[in-house]
Amino acid sequence: MRNPARTPFGVIFYTELLLNSKRIVPYALLVLFSAHAVMWWGWSAAANYGWATNSDFNIVRNLLGFSFLLGLPIFNAVIMGDPVIRDFRTGVDPLIFSKPVRRAPYLLGKFFGNFFVLVCCQAAFVLTTFALQWFPKSNLVVQPPRILPYFKHFLFFVVISHLLLAAVYFTVGALTRNAKIVYGLAVSFYPLYIAYQLLLLKVLPERWALALDPMLLRSSSIPPHLKWEDANLINQIVVSYDADMIANRALMLLVAALCLMILYFRFRIAERPRNAESFATLDLSTGVDRLYYDAESVQQTRGEQSEKPCDREQAQLPEVAMAGAGGRANFYKLIAALGVEFRLLRAERSLVVIIPLALFLSVLELAFYEVHPDISYEVSYAAAYASSAARSLLLFLFGITVFYTGEAMHRDREVKVEPLLWSAPAPSYVLLLSKFLATVLLGLALSALVALVSLALQIYKGRAPFEITPYLLVYTVILVPSVIFIAAASVLLNVALRDKYLAYAVSIATGGGLLYLYNQGYNHWLYNPLLHQRWTYAELSGAANSGVNILTHRVYVLAIAALCLALAHLCFGRKASKGFGAGRGLGSAGWSILAAAVSVFVALCAVFLIIQLQT
Amino acid sequence: MLNINGLKKTYAGRVQALQGVSLDAPAGMFGLLGPNGAGKTTLMKILATLLEPDAGEARMNGVDLISDKDAARRMLGYLPQEFGLYPTLTAEQTLDYFAKLKGVHDRTERKSLIGALLERVNLASARRQRVGEFSGGMRQRLGIAQALIGQPSLIIVDEPTAGLDPEERVRFHNLLSDTAGEGRVVILSTHIVSDVSNLCSRMAIIRHGEILASGTPQEAIGELADSIWEATLPREHVPALKSRFRVISSQTFDGQARLKVLSKGVRPGEEFVAATPTLEDYYFHLVSQTGSAA
Repeated sequence: MRNPARTPFGVIFYTELLLNSKRIVPYALLVLFSAHAVMWWGWSAAANYGWATNSDFNIVRNLLGFSFLLGLPIFNAVIMGDPVIRDFRTGVDPLIFSKPVRRAPYLLGKFFGNFFVLVCCQAAFVLTTFALQWFPKSNLVVQPPRILPYFKHFLFFVVISHLLLAAVYFTVGALTRNAKIVYGLAVSFYPLYIAYQLLLLKVLPERWALALDPMLLRSSSIPPHLKWEDANLINQIVVSYDADMIANRALMLLVAALCLMILYFRFRIAERPRNAESFATLDLSTGVDRLYYDAESVQQTRGEQSEKPCDREQAQLPEVAMAGAGGRANFYKLIAALGVEFRLLRAERSLVVIIPLALFLSVLELAFYEVHPDISYEVSYAAAYASSAARSLLLFLFGITVFYTGEAMHRDREVKVEPLLWSAPAPSYVLLLSKFLATVLLGLALSALVALVSLALQIYKGRAPFEITPYLLVYTVILVPSVIFIAAASVLLNVALRDKYLAYAVSIATGGGLLYLYNQGYNHWLYNPLLHQRWTYAELSGAANSGVNILTHRVYVLAIAALCLALAHLCFGRKASKGFGAGRGLGSAGWSILAAAVSVFVALCAVFLIIQLQT
Repeated sequence: MLNINGLKKTYAGRVQALQGVSLDAPAGMFGLLGPNGAGKTTLMKILATLLEPDAGEARMNGVDLISDKDAARRMLGYLPQEFGLYPTLTAEQTLDYFAKLKGVHDRTERKSLIGALLERVNLASARRQRVGEFSGGMRQRLGIAQALIGQPSLIIVDEPTAGLDPEERVRFHNLLSDTAGEGRVVILSTHIVSDVSNLCSRMAIIRHGEILASGTPQEAIGELADSIWEATLPREHVPALKSRFRVISSQTFDGQARLKVLSKGVRPGEEFVAATPTLEDYYFHLVSQTGSAA
């Protein structure tokens, strides 16, 4: 019998494991998912309501939450989106496809190799919660240790759901050969899934809704006769798989298989035609630059060239004035670099989808629901509209800023223009700040757009008074510093981690974790740079006597942003002139350290002032 | 004048890329010749301020290229071995961007400079085409155009003709020769011997991070006068000849071995005829002294 490890499928499967073992993403996910498990063990609803942490109900609830929340569908795309794209990007595709490997083992080896890695990463969550049974915490109820439910429910609720998502991402990635489309799809998962729930599943009978829910989220609700506080009864619930649930899982497996089948029939190994080919024939040669065929004439002509290299007519380069290295010259360079960065940002095709989506979802509440002003402080409709849209927009600004900062920071390396730029006489801060400012500008443009649409909706609905001041106040005090902070922190993260996708994963995990903590009530201003759930318009306008508090907090956030930029400049990979002086004033590192020190000082002053104001 | 003195670089993993390289390159084309992995790109990257050496110094007209990187970048034009350009920008926009970064802030001057550069590299009619639509040769010529911005006194081109078709290669050689004729130091790093013999007034051969020889190609070829003999023989005769003579190159052609032998003033055998020495012979002679290369 043939050894399965030596079949093309086995070889490709094993190679995928090997490749993933050399990437940092799987290890980052392992740590992240274990951290999630610890967080959900000690600080989740089980702790609040007295449910046993290893009760059947809590295990399933945690697994479903883990499967859906905290970006797991996005991490799925990070692993499953680019295995085939990677082969084409690195140029190894002709080497593979010139071997006797058929499409089916190639695609299945790639798919299952990466899916296995994904499941191993996800298993970190279930293994950690499983191990935590033996580490009781004083406020937690724990039943006698259990083994089978963890793995059974993990397979049923998590693995099968993510097999479907993985098949979709893998199919889209392999067919389009564009990782950005896969990540765009992954980012759109939540709005699409929520829309699917609201527009389709909600109107279907319960059985159908359960059968057609790919994440099986409905199975985590408690029986109607129980309340969340009925811990004793909830702990006795045994989650069994009824016919509808089994039908659901069978359907998901079928759809996953269908995706892979579509991929099998549509996948082509051929090189895609590119525009470049048509231009390769563009003839710009002069009479002298001929193509010689016989060796003798080549030698003869080479001799002539080396003897008389300047015989040909050539365009003389004009003398130009070159600016020195002063602040004014560098400012012009910054403006030039910013112009190019912003132009490159505008050329991102994903913006065509993301900006309208963010705009639509930010003003969704204003468009379709009634927004009431806060009557306790006599806040106007204008303030209510501005505040409502700003709150929704903040989450999109986070995602958009993180994503496009990553794109801007790694674009130079990806298109291999980095050596040209880094050998140009422009200081490193010009290269860094241009990327930072371009994403900030993008965020500000989106904010302005949302503000305009909100104002238009307010006018359309006739909710007077139509004032500009509340919009200006909310957007400049809340949104602008937040965008600056997110962009600066992303710049630092991308410089420090040197990997775009790792930076995305860390940003999403940090953002998701903080959001979870904020929603649990742990939203102290010290670690809440976006002031999530910590401001009202009344406070902002001074009506609630804490306007100075918020303004000081924004100074604190801007100082932290400046600190991030200074550290990013310090850690930037480009080599700079040496020395802290040596008769030439401060060097590049010296300026970074000075800026970092000033930022820390300002941040500490702001913290001190806020504490004084509060006491 | 470029002076390099005792440059050393060891990468993580104990790979010694440069082991104390010293060179002097006057104005004109200077060829740096060596096999793959000899340390050419490492040396180019250090000169282009992208890499920090462990020891040694490099000065261009008195400016320290290692410690004063800002000044070095102002006098530098660099075309790396592997580079890309923003695919969505046009040729004109690309040059405009690099001109601004190099400090050419006057709009009129910049426009006329870009026009002249595009003329010189034969891309004037493609000035409004996106770079993403360029062929390899066109992209390479745009690369040299950006390196020429701002009258650089030191131009570094690293393996510039790799991947170009013969027509583009000849065109590119002419462009480099024209550039070197304007009183600049042009360092051409390559492993193609004919590129150096056709273009460079001075050259150096590097191998395993050490300079094996430097001088003019004529001096190098002169060292081999009356020493090169060639013959076409059955392949089974080759081992015996190799044990008796210094075989500097051996090529199989039509089932037979075409040999070149180094033998000062003495004909190795009846079947051998005297051959005109080439720079390639000198290169093979030199690198085969320190290891197998041919």
